[in-house]
Amino acid sequence: MKYIIKFKKTGVICYTSHLDIMKVFKRSFKRAGIRLAYSQGFNPHPKMGFAQPLSLGYRGYDEYIEFETAADYNEKYGEEILEALKRIMPEGLTLVSIKEAPELKKTLASMTVAAEYDIRIPLAQPLDEDAKALWSRYMGQERITALKKQKKKKEPVVIDIKPKIRQLTFNPKDDSLVLNAVLDAGSESNLSPELLIDTVISSLGIECDRAEITVSRLELQFKE
Amino acid sequence: MLKMGIDKELESILKRVEKPARYIGGEVNMVRKNPDDVSVRIGFAFPDTYEIGMSYMGMQILYNILNGNDRIYCERVFAPAADMEAIMREKGRKLYTLETFTPIDEIDILGFTLQYEMSYTNILNMLDLGGIPLKKQDRMDGNYPLIIAGGPCAFNPEPLVDFVDAFLIGDGEESLEKVCLAFADAKADKLSREAFLEKIAEIDGVYVPEFYEVKYGSDHAISEVGRINENAPETVTRAIVKDIEKAEFPVNNIVPFIDTVHDRSVVETFRGCTRGCRFCQAGMIYRPVRERTPETIEKLAMEQLANTGHEELSLLSLSTSDYSRFEPMATGLMGLCRKQNVSLSLPSLRLDSFSFRVLEEIQGYRKSGLTFAPEAGTQRLRDVINKNITEDDIFSATRQAVELGWEHIKLYFMIGLPTETYEDLDGIADIAKKIMDINYDVRGRKGGRFRVTVSVSNFVPKPHTPFQWEAQNTAEEFVEKHNYLSSKLRIKGVTFNYHETATSNLEAVFARGDRRCGRILEEAWKLGCRFDGWTEHFKPEAWKEAFENCAADLGFDSADDMEAFYNYRERTAEEIFPWDMINPFVSRDYFLAERNKAVKCETTHDCREGCTGCGVNRYTDCFVNCKQK
Repeated sequence: MKYIIKFKKTGVICYTSHLDIMKVFKRSFKRAGIRLAYSQGFNPHPKMGFAQPLSLGYRGYDEYIEFETAADYNEKYGEEILEALKRIMPEGLTLVSIKEAPELKKTLASMTVAAEYDIRIPLAQPLDEDAKALWSRYMGQERITALKKQKKKKEPVVIDIKPKIRQLTFNPKDDSLVLNAVLDAGSESNLSPELLIDTVISSLGIECDRAEITVSRLELQFKE
Repeated sequence: MLKMGIDKELESILKRVEKPARYIGGEVNMVRKNPDDVSVRIGFAFPDTYEIGMSYMGMQILYNILNGNDRIYCERVFAPAADMEAIMREKGRKLYTLETFTPIDEIDILGFTLQYEMSYTNILNMLDLGGIPLKKQDRMDGNYPLIIAGGPCAFNPEPLVDFVDAFLIGDGEESLEKVCLAFADAKADKLSREAFLEKIAEIDGVYVPEFYEVKYGSDHAISEVGRINENAPETVTRAIVKDIEKAEFPVNNIVPFIDTVHDRSVVETFRGCTRGCRFCQAGMIYRPVRERTPETIEKLAMEQLANTGHEELSLLSLSTSDYSRFEPMATGLMGLCRKQNVSLSLPSLRLDSFSFRVLEEIQGYRKSGLTFAPEAGTQRLRDVINKNITEDDIFSATRQAVELGWEHIKLYFMIGLPTETYEDLDGIADIAKKIMDINYDVRGRKGGRFRVTVSVSNFVPKPHTPFQWEAQNTAEEFVEKHNYLSSKLRIKGVTFNYHETATSNLEAVFARGDRRCGRILEEAWKLGCRFDGWTEHFKPEAWKEAFENCAADLGFDSADDMEAFYNYRERTAEEIFPWDMINPFVSRDYFLAERNKAVKCETTHDCREGCTGCGVNRYTDCFVNCKQK
């Protein structure tokens, strides 16, 4: 049986990486006595996966994990699985809901197209422009170029991130600049909020400590 | 919502450091208590990184016992890595417990586990990062935590007496809880520090160094150890759990989020060892052998796996195959693990035909290397150290292994052992070469991908062993031997590794050091030494400087003289050792007799075949729960 669980990742557990959270889920299924289906091959692993990885330090309010129970597993279904897991998840991983997904052919990862983020940049002093002016100055650029690190090569490449920004609003406050952004996400086109932050900071001339910025993922959007 | 104690500053710190999950706690099975609801709070401090400390079963055992008591809250503290330390110092952030993010200077007791000497500078660093004065004399005024320490290295506590208020010698299962409760009572009764220390000095295994005075002679050696508080025992008898079957063992182990050295379920099958290798401290200080029954081992294993979700199970003891009912126990566990998709790992197997069947079953086509630890290259030297393994054992097991498809053999040796000559080093190369020949014999002239790894460590004489009187090799001698072996081991298919020489010499100073060595330790820490057991952090120059700065204070003409005194001289039979106030149950006479036999290349049989008179049975029963032959 295939299922999708929606969950939140908040609090200090945000400083645990994507792969380590995967291990937490894997062990939680075991602890809850929920037997998963395994892949075939020399190194069988349980059939489960996240819709999208969440960067270290980000909060996630609309995260998804899909998994498949073993063919001969018949102890718990749907809500019972959710309840069993809820009892044992570590603090900060909050399970919200479960649904059966028998029709799902493709993985959630391949269905993801965009993600909405809330980004808070602390300010030493208030900005002297309003939301609209900030938006125009940033989005008014013909190209928004960012340096993107590559997995294999050492040299970062220059890319234009503007086409990957689906929606962006600026909300300047006295002590911080709050951004709401919907960015491409998934295997077809993806934009890391880090590159958005880099370019916002540099094009608007904001001085701030990168370690003070907080990022939350509010929503994941999927193909219809 | 952020957890209590986590604030913006800590959040921004966590965003800057590598592997921030080392510093956040909150793992599965972490114990949560309200600190206001307990009478005493103790921080269990592991003086190394989170990944190493979380792999140490002793911590999980004591954490489980202490937190099982409603009056006690035991939390964990680890040494921060260099990047974290730098940011903490920059921000003035104190080292904190992972459970509640409480600065360590605000808890009642801080207890360090002493697993290896090279972690000692980390202890000082952790105290300093907690805003706690290093020396106990500077803690008399002010409300600082009681600093205690235990673990194998506490069997010679002397190099740390400047910094530690009390040591717990031996098994900590009972004594640590007693000390915590005594602290709670003392707090309620408003007892003075001294009165409290007198109270805990009555507990088996508790050593309060300030109740003893050490005098030195003109030859630098100890001339007299005097007890200066009547309430302290003349010698401190190690604490012992006489029947480990009845001792608490955790089944709700904390499961780390990040990868640690060992991230698996572990059951201790027995404590102690009967083999009597003369260099081995563990083989002496953990006597006698005490077993858990197979039923209990199975039950603990299954409960741990169910509560942790671990993918791997391992057994803990000094020598897996020496468990008296090993075959049925291993067979039972293999079956249970197979059913649950759990892999079973059996360390340090003696390679007989049963072990091969077990390894075939649990490793299948994914064969890891096979390991032998002959420790010495010739039968003569193996007799000296009483290592009961013959070349026939090694070669017949190798032949079997190669026939079964193994492609990697690992060999462990020690150099610098008492009476060693270059012939013994030649023996190391001969063994490696003969193993290669066996492979050619079985696999043909080309030999396949087969390889042999020879790892050589440097002998460090340890207290409470028959070799506690011996001189260690100098750095030059070790280097010369490494070079010699390097040339001898230029054999196709053989890889040769050896251990850093300077660390071995330092380890030896602190293994057998006296009270004066604390001065060197503090100096080295001031000069920036941390994580000395890590090659990438070890600072030999700073250590050299520390020795030079301290030699005169300790009454030596030079740093070289000082090192020679601690390391490179053979002690006389009558020497008063710094650790003589500690009674490990094994008698000094036995150590001396073993040493005399060693020099004559005489072996001593495994005490399962008959008592060898080590003296342990004056205090406790041997072979509790063991199936007798």
